[in-house]
Amino acid sequence: MQSVEDSAGTPPTDGTAKGNRALDEATDAERRVAAGIREGLDIDMRDVKEGVLRMGSYVEDQILAAHDAIMNRDAQLAQKVIASDARINDVQRAVSGVVTMTIATQQPVARDLRFLLALDRVTYELERIGDHAGSVAKQARKLAGVTIMVTYDELTPMATLAAQQVRDVVLALIDIDEKVAREVAARDDEIDRLYHKVFDDVLAEMRTDPAKVDPGTRILFAAHYLERIGDRVTNIAEDVVFLATGEVEDLNP
Amino acid sequence: MSTGEEMPTTATYPEPVLRRVEVTTSSVAEETAVRSDEVKIAAEHVSISYGEKVAVRDVSLTVQDRSIMALIGPSGSGKSTLLRCFNRMNDLIPGASVQGKVRLDGENVTDPDVSVVELRRRVGMVFQRPNPFPMSIYENVAYGPRRRGMNEKRKLEELVETSLKRAALWDEVKDDLRRKSGLALSGGQQQRLCIARVLATDPEVILMDEPASALDPVSTLRIEELMRELREAYTIVIVTHNMQQAARVSDVTAFFTMAEDRAGYLVEVGPTGRIFTRPNERLTEDYISGRFG
Repeated sequence: MQSVEDSAGTPPTDGTAKGNRALDEATDAERRVAAGIREGLDIDMRDVKEGVLRMGSYVEDQILAAHDAIMNRDAQLAQKVIASDARINDVQRAVSGVVTMTIATQQPVARDLRFLLALDRVTYELERIGDHAGSVAKQARKLAGVTIMVTYDELTPMATLAAQQVRDVVLALIDIDEKVAREVAARDDEIDRLYHKVFDDVLAEMRTDPAKVDPGTRILFAAHYLERIGDRVTNIAEDVVFLATGEVEDLNP
Repeated sequence: MSTGEEMPTTATYPEPVLRRVEVTTSSVAEETAVRSDEVKIAAEHVSISYGEKVAVRDVSLTVQDRSIMALIGPSGSGKSTLLRCFNRMNDLIPGASVQGKVRLDGENVTDPDVSVVELRRRVGMVFQRPNPFPMSIYENVAYGPRRRGMNEKRKLEELVETSLKRAALWDEVKDDLRRKSGLALSGGQQQRLCIARVLATDPEVILMDEPASALDPVSTLRIEELMRELREAYTIVIVTHNMQQAARVSDVTAFFTMAEDRAGYLVEVGPTGRIFTRPNERLTEDYISGRFG
């Protein structure tokens, strides 16, 4: 008499396709449950991470578009950037809401909790970075139609670097990659260097010609906001290092 | 860069399906993962009394197909009494009477013409204390289908295996199916055996009355993962004293409490994410925060 034990490894079936399918599905189901994953929490955390990635990409876009607006003195583009800030704020609120709900319903502790709280903090930093990009765009708006200009070539590498920094630090956060976070923090020196160069050059030009004071001031403000973006990225990088090591480190002394 | 309508994007990440992030950008967020639009169970103005004493007063709620609803609230608030209405287990209590309608797929199950036996097959129940039959593991699971007339050996074996796998117990017992008694299993395993037993009858709804309260934390989380898996195919209603469990595992939470006259009533029902972050009622907020009056 064939018993279930005799056919170890060969599941008994009555041969029907439906029966086999049910058995296969049940086998998969058991494997998933036995894997011991906290699927509920994992799904929520994945949603939060995706939200943060999305915010990061919106903010990147804003920085690059604000740069284009100011380089081309394009008021229309500037206006679009300013209006798009609302989208970033919406996603920030949404992601923060999911973090709150996840903590309330899944009760994460230890590493999971620290990570979620860090992700929440970063949404605020990203939102502020978005605001800075908007402020750059506001300077662009003011520069539209201006005929006398100062040189402002440094804004391009500043903006390109700032956008790249945002992308890299968000990825480092999602992966809790300490190495990349440190690299990002080190690159901030370059943004600072460019900022000081713009500052000195524009100041020198403003001294030679009062007509250049107005446009020069706008450029200085724009550079200042880009530099602030770099500082905020460094804050995020410090968060990543803390998550990875448990130690608080000042990465930009 | 163009100055067209859409903001140019540098993102190379795939556009994620942020169902909850997208949804919460609107004013009032309802973050239910919906597998079905259909109502599986509907309670319409249900009141239940034991003799003169009103145990549950005027409850109306719906349970979506393939979702998990948690009934929470203090002792005596009528949660288990209401749960037992869904498969007419209250019929077994002398003096119990039910007013109002309880609908399964739209049909009223409190109608005297309804076959209670068939109802209890479609709407299975798992109890607080596991109650395996004093038989082998195999016989425990095969019992129901056998009584319904299934006697083809292969079909029965396949059904037992599928049910045990669906209850996440197969791997642990597959070598002892006919030798080992259901009573010889651990608490957590016994409870999964009871779930397998219910699954073997091919139900549509699974009612669980405090299914994990007698179990250790690891077994509890196991049962919760199992429930999440089962939700893909079954509708589940669970009564639990463990609020954290209700929060972890359910899609919808219904909060009950006791009125002055000690009759239980429904205070609030809503998506679990909202109930545990922004409940509408003060009573609900106090209860879930641990501030019991």
